[in-house]
Amino acid sequence: MEIKTQRENGILIANVNGRVDSANAREFENVLSSAISDDDTCVVVDFGGLSYISSSGLRVILLVAKSLRNRNAEFALCSLSGPIGEVFKISGFDKIISIYDSQAEACAALGG
Amino acid sequence: MLRFAEELMLLILDDENGRFARVPDRLMRYALAGGVLMDLALENRIDTDLEKLILVDSTRVQDSLLDPTLADIAQMDETRDARFWVERTALRADTIREEALNRLVERGILNREEDRFLWVIQGRRYPVIDNTAEREVKLRIMEVLFSDQIPGPRDVVIIGLAHACDIFKEILSARELARVSDRIDQVRKLDLIGQAVSQAITDIELSLALAVQMMP
Repeated sequence: MEIKTQRENGILIANVNGRVDSANAREFENVLSSAISDDDTCVVVDFGGLSYISSSGLRVILLVAKSLRNRNAEFALCSLSGPIGEVFKISGFDKIISIYDSQAEACAALGG
Repeated sequence: MLRFAEELMLLILDDENGRFARVPDRLMRYALAGGVLMDLALENRIDTDLEKLILVDSTRVQDSLLDPTLADIAQMDETRDARFWVERTALRADTIREEALNRLVERGILNREEDRFLWVIQGRRYPVIDNTAEREVKLRIMEVLFSDQIPGPRDVVIIGLAHACDIFKEILSARELARVSDRIDQVRKLDLIGQAVSQAITDIELSLALAVQMMP
């Protein structure tokens, strides 16, 4: 798994590549949480390069989303491929977290 | 921190008389099994996806509620799905229930009393000694159900298990239940093992309904 972050127009964008499962879920959480500063009010996680996510990875997304919601920051996911999108749909994550087809759409929706 | 099986036992306990709500045994078995599997997942011993439950680490948790199931998963040659493990673990539900109750008694949360008539034990009651843990579980559930906050992983599990054993009608009024039923459905789906528990229960209910219909 590899995470690259950048800031564009006040939005923190995290591009995630590879697999997220129990072997690296803690690292995924640590890297993502460290990249998000207290000043970030909009965060987009781009899963365009994600090939697999297990329940452990989903739990990290839930924790990050909860933490951001608690301080009124906006959070979105984008670019989910077919199988990854299916996981998020079946597990109902698409009902509680905003999901967009592309990074551009996610940034536009979050006001970037 | 209590294990989910312990929290579940507290949820179905009636504070007033120390007796348990009448939850169908088959539902409770699956819920207790789901609770054990979820604790193993949160201890990073197992992981799941849409198709399978994977052993991550067979190192004992040093917890008598969890280790027998972990050992069972570790000795299995082939990988199976979460549903399989919910059903298999449910076979040990009586032991899980007894162990959970023993621990609640040992922790000083419940007392165990035996109802006797002419020296014959008629049943057991578990009056609450310290209701802090029970209040905390119920509060956690209510906070999630009556708000639009994003639930934490433990909240998702306990709401899924409470739904699985149909306990919400005991802890919420009919009006409250109607108000939050969509929210319960939304939250309980957020965990894949929780979904496997629900699916196992739905399937067995369907089988029972079919069996009844086919009876002469």
